[in-house]
Amino acid sequence: MNGHDVTNIEKILVCCGTCCLANNSMDIVTGLREKIQQAGLPLEVVPMVKATGCSGLCENGPIVRFLPDDLCYYKVKPGDVDEVFEKTVRNNQEIDRLMHREPEQRNRVRTREENSFYKKQLRIALRNTGEIDPFSIQDYMDRGGYSAAESALKMNPEEILAEIECSGLRGRGGAGFPTGRKWRQCAGIGRYPKYIICNGDEGDPGAFMDRCILEGDPHSVIEGMLIGSWAVGSNSGYLYIRNEYGLAVRTMEEAIRQAREKGFLGKNVFGTGYDFDLQIVKGGGAFVCGESTALMASIEGNTGEPRAKYIRSVEKGLWGQPTLLNNVETWANIPEIINRGGKWFSSIGTENSKGTKVFSLVGKVKNNGLVEVPMGITLRELIFEIGGGIIGERRFKAVQTGGPSGGCIPEGLLDMKVDFDSLEAADSMMGSGGMIVMDDRTCMVDTARYYLNFLSEESCGKCVPCREGLRRMLEVLDGISEGKGTEEDLDLLIWLGSMMQEAALCGLGKSAPNPVLSTIKYFREEYLAHIQAKRCPAGICKKLTTFRILGEKCTGCGLCKKNCGALAISGKPRLAHVIDEELCTRCGNCIDVCRFQAVEIG
Amino acid sequence: MKVIIDGLACEAESGEYLLQIAKRNHINIPTLCHEEALAGLATCRICIVEVMDAKRTEVEGDGQTERSEKRKIVTACVYPVVTEIEVITNSEKLRDMRKAILTLLMARAPESDAIGMLAKEYGVEHNHQWLTKDDEKCILCGLCVAACDKMGTGAIATINRGITRKVSTPFEEPAESCIGCCSCASVCPSGAIPFTDLHRKRTIWNKEFDLVSCSWCGEIIGTKEQLDYVGKRIDPSPDEHRIGLSADAHGNEMLCEHCRAVREASRLKWVRQKSLA
Repeated sequence: MNGHDVTNIEKILVCCGTCCLANNSMDIVTGLREKIQQAGLPLEVVPMVKATGCSGLCENGPIVRFLPDDLCYYKVKPGDVDEVFEKTVRNNQEIDRLMHREPEQRNRVRTREENSFYKKQLRIALRNTGEIDPFSIQDYMDRGGYSAAESALKMNPEEILAEIECSGLRGRGGAGFPTGRKWRQCAGIGRYPKYIICNGDEGDPGAFMDRCILEGDPHSVIEGMLIGSWAVGSNSGYLYIRNEYGLAVRTMEEAIRQAREKGFLGKNVFGTGYDFDLQIVKGGGAFVCGESTALMASIEGNTGEPRAKYIRSVEKGLWGQPTLLNNVETWANIPEIINRGGKWFSSIGTENSKGTKVFSLVGKVKNNGLVEVPMGITLRELIFEIGGGIIGERRFKAVQTGGPSGGCIPEGLLDMKVDFDSLEAADSMMGSGGMIVMDDRTCMVDTARYYLNFLSEESCGKCVPCREGLRRMLEVLDGISEGKGTEEDLDLLIWLGSMMQEAALCGLGKSAPNPVLSTIKYFREEYLAHIQAKRCPAGICKKLTTFRILGEKCTGCGLCKKNCGALAISGKPRLAHVIDEELCTRCGNCIDVCRFQAVEIG
Repeated sequence: MKVIIDGLACEAESGEYLLQIAKRNHINIPTLCHEEALAGLATCRICIVEVMDAKRTEVEGDGQTERSEKRKIVTACVYPVVTEIEVITNSEKLRDMRKAILTLLMARAPESDAIGMLAKEYGVEHNHQWLTKDDEKCILCGLCVAACDKMGTGAIATINRGITRKVSTPFEEPAESCIGCCSCASVCPSGAIPFTDLHRKRTIWNKEFDLVSCSWCGEIIGTKEQLDYVGKRIDPSPDEHRIGLSADAHGNEMLCEHCRAVREASRLKWVRQKSLA
């Protein structure tokens, strides 16, 4: 106890995003509700327990928040419900052990604001996730929801376009095309019907920004689309959500139903005489369907393959009609821009990248989760302040941004400001906002190989550069990681990669060589170590790795022996241990568990 | 409007594709997946060219550097011309990129003559390090699938995705909807679709068809299924009323194109003589 008392609790918010749900957060909600009901509390205010969308710090879920004090508990288990109820709800006491501990501090912090994970964040697209019950339209409206749509429908479409243009918002799906310009192009075409699409086919490994918005704040997307439809003159919209996002589909279905009930969707929206309705299309889980033209082909019922985009989809998109497609996060930003003005939005961020961006910060970083930060924040701030640094105090090696076709950014560029242009200048890209942090136990050849393998399976295979290029680059990388590589291989990879960047049919193919090209650029020595010394410095490529225990450092604690699945480690307690190379499978468990840096990569 | 291709000023209509304009002006751009009747696949990427916006460079004016930066690589077969542009079809860079593409195609389908000829032209050698299927000729351009779709039969499609993509019938079994017309094989640029016409039988895509010959000269006209199918498309009336192309509901003879022309000519002659008499 640090002496704080908790003010009478009015609301208890329990995070019920996918990660927390997987850790039984729904049991916490029902447990708390039951307790409160049974007890018939003699309190002035009976606390309301709400199941909310994702609150961001997924690593430490389930998260329970108490309002108005903003007291936050992390990693709460259903078994803790009794104690939480008795101490915190009934007797206004804090439970020290459930509160957040800052990595470098002894004492625990009480509120979300004090938690360094949240301190530097600015939540615009995520303004409601984790705050509202996504299944309740009333909750959304209580926080000002649908006021933007209502006022937008009274505005001239021209005024909306001007506001969006003024905001400087750029598409959050990856390419960063100015949203206002896209809207104006679509509005300027006089062919009807026009269609509005929300791209929710998020498929990057390790990325879950859009899922959390769809799950936690579905109405902001609906409202954004409603505003967009009015601005360009469309009466029907599609939400393309991948089928694997079961919770997102359910939340969205319910949100659409409630919005129709309120008269915010359907015929005569807001009593203005204007019609707009939405329907959900479930994607079959092909990564390439996140590409806009492939997505439209998929909605039409055709094979999800891209087409050449020399004629833009604002002109000829879905069913050959003018179509306005934006990403989930882009749509979620729109209501806030209408409410607070484009000027306000453009005051945030850098010169050419305005506003904020949601990143899913994952990998070898302490605070895994979803963060929304102003554009222009440095990678160092993101990874070391918000992310809390590298797990196990290992050395930072690289951060992979922009999904599978992004690039790996090395330590030397940690002070780079994160925005569309600077990431591109560093041979990576913003992408949809995946950010995978890697430590010194990550092999860059292996990383490039992983992404190429993913892309070679997920490419549609339509055009030669992408299909055949990926296949051959993967073969070359396989060779390098098995010690069969030559220095000419690097030239070959660069030659094929740079051809693909320009000659491939769609964005997927054009960006597919990025992981290889950026790792060759920044980690050439590591490639050369694989090729010349036949050695994998990170100890990942199995054919090029041996592990050895340093006798002088080994304390004989036996931890490695215990964790060795191949029973390759022998040694008596308190005496130096030895690895039998014949038996060793190079899994790396020993080096990962050793606390004395006694395992060396040979 | 004017389009300058390799220094030659060409007349073009707005919306016309670059490849069309180039062909009309006898400028050679190599293609593999292009077929007049089935245009727009843009899968082989061999027809890449460099495009610069002629107008924009004029307005911005100052100097050559600006000009070269604005260059972009596009595929001529599907690039519609809407503004006045300058096009280069054979620069050093383009040749190098085509060489890279051909290296990949050569590794995939070393047996194909069409690839072999282009590869020779671009000085591409077969990379023996790369694993190839020995008898592979298919470059997955998609022309066969487009042709089958255009026929309205839809018996073949590309299946799988990424590096495992291939052309196949449904479940790799003989396709019910296949009529054995061989449209797929005839548009294939690399001769990758095998079929045999033996003993009045055609075998293609693991399915056997009866061949129909011309009643006069004996030339093969097509398969029975194909003639039935075409007959139904031309005249959708019930079977017994249809002017048959194959089964001869009206006792018509089955003739090849040449013999049919001869027959029509002689009929005309007969009618003419009658009317004169």
